[in-house]
Amino acid sequence: MEAAHKKEERKSVFSDYDYSNFYYGAGDDPVNLLGPFREWYQEAKPNGYYLYSEPLSSAPATHVQVRNGKTGAVHDLLNLASYNYLGISYREEVKQAAIEAVNKYGLGASGSPILSGTFDIHEELAREVASFKAKDAAILFPTGYSANVGFISSIMRSGVFFRHNNPLDLERKLGGVRGKKLVVVEGVYSMDGDVCVLPEIVDVAKRHGARVLIDEAHSTFLFGANGRGVAEHFGLDQEVDFHLGTFSKSLGGQGGFVCGGRDLIDYVNAFGRSRFFSCNLAPPLVAGLRAGLAIVEGEPELRAKLWSNVAYMRRRFAEEGIDIGKSTSQVMPVLVNNDAKVFAVAEKIQDRGLYLQPVTYPAVPKHKSRLRISVSAAHTEEDLEQAVRVIASVLREEGICR
Amino acid sequence: MSLTRYGYRNAISGFFEFPTDNARRILPAGLEPVELHHGTSIFSMTVFDFTESEVGAYGEAVMSVIVVPLVKPGERLPKSAFYPYLVATTTRAAREHAIERWHLPHWMEDVEIAFEPQGNRLTAKVAADGAPVAEMAVGDYSWNPVSHLYQSFMRDGDKSYLASITMEGEQSEHEEETGRVRLHEHAFNKDLAVSEVYDVPFREIWMRNGAQTFQPLVQLETA
Repeated sequence: MEAAHKKEERKSVFSDYDYSNFYYGAGDDPVNLLGPFREWYQEAKPNGYYLYSEPLSSAPATHVQVRNGKTGAVHDLLNLASYNYLGISYREEVKQAAIEAVNKYGLGASGSPILSGTFDIHEELAREVASFKAKDAAILFPTGYSANVGFISSIMRSGVFFRHNNPLDLERKLGGVRGKKLVVVEGVYSMDGDVCVLPEIVDVAKRHGARVLIDEAHSTFLFGANGRGVAEHFGLDQEVDFHLGTFSKSLGGQGGFVCGGRDLIDYVNAFGRSRFFSCNLAPPLVAGLRAGLAIVEGEPELRAKLWSNVAYMRRRFAEEGIDIGKSTSQVMPVLVNNDAKVFAVAEKIQDRGLYLQPVTYPAVPKHKSRLRISVSAAHTEEDLEQAVRVIASVLREEGICR
Repeated sequence: MSLTRYGYRNAISGFFEFPTDNARRILPAGLEPVELHHGTSIFSMTVFDFTESEVGAYGEAVMSVIVVPLVKPGERLPKSAFYPYLVATTTRAAREHAIERWHLPHWMEDVEIAFEPQGNRLTAKVAADGAPVAEMAVGDYSWNPVSHLYQSFMRDGDKSYLASITMEGEQSEHEEETGRVRLHEHAFNKDLAVSEVYDVPFREIWMRNGAQTFQPLVQLETA
């Protein structure tokens, strides 16, 4: 018994826990979890969590300056982490538009979009986005996340989840649902880079009388003949009822939007609380987004370059025996599948000049840890080749690929 | 204060999604289910193959709802907490021991528990009154020695209790969705809407060659 008691006193190691252990906790004080979290994080951070939120001191271009979270030293790294899929955020036209808007409007909107925060350029951007998506109207949100929260909570009241990209499970779940039904999918899934099986999902949804919402955060401006997204790619633009997107990925800015019929947009304007309890998008940002949208519409070759880069990376990863799972998009998970080793792998890769982040549980299932790569149209073939070689060499050294 | 130790050969757990409405029907006032996402809570089934204890060797099946742990400043943070709403054992001695010492709610007849290894999978079959109750299979992944703290909440009449339990041994834990549970329509499962329990576990835990150690029971204030 004595021996057992001593073992019970064993101090927990950081790998016994992860973020999910610090979300729920009952007790007398709502801050009881702060102490255990601090104790865990103090050990977890030097063991790899420092790789998150390392500050950049340059534009999110193909090469970035990053301050190492452990040493404090600033390094020039090849950037495979930013969402800047078309390299738009630092284009001269975009920066110039933002500068001019600063001179005209100042920094912020200084008001809720339903009160004093709507400017002429907000209306213009909303019209332009609607036109680009071939919809009657669009409404802007401060972020893509708030677009989802605000839109869904404005038209729905509760929900159930179906399993990832699984029409059979959707069929089963919809069979047990009474009342309003809304099926919510993403165009491209942000952790696996796989594309929604939209035709099957739409088929199941329609047979059960459910509406379909697609969040095209990672696919708007990239997929489809006109860049409208995965719904356009599958020829299902009209069958999908609600279209969401973000400005923070391919347009390199910030904000979200919902497109649809005029009645829908008016309703969401009235009930989208995440929107009207936030300040509207900053005018310089809006001006930059308008310039970015003009680039997307005027330069379809950017999309062609992105898909060429994606094809190059897919081919090279396959040649090197590197597993990228089910990805068929510009988001590529390099699967490490080892929660303990992923931080060491990421650290080594960063030390050799690449900027990318590890992703572990609970963002992905246990043992599905990976390095997430964002391919951009701005990358050169030399950039991509350098990335593949560094990643392959580290994965081989760590015994993760042949 | 003495500890109570149970040595086991195998202990397998599956965590399954099931409706929060069902979880709330099972839980007493004061306990909150952990929700995976809105409306979806976690049903857990654990089956033990105990090899040594104060009442000898026996098998045990524990049906639980995963609940919010009780966190106290300066104390070790539990990995998770559960509310066992039904425990079944293969021997009367084990049942009487657990009722008397831990105030655990029991199926009051002996059950049959069989473990069937097959490659890297282990299946536990539970039968009561000569009829199948549940079959659960889990697969392994990689094995590591662990010592994890869990909390178990019990309610007995108007009294509430907390047991802190340390699980030691070799552990395999994963979310490969390779396991399966089949819950039969049987009085044993009357608290569950069986058809609404997802049959593929989102997490599978397999522990072997270890010990489960209970700290002395703590009586809680009842709201």
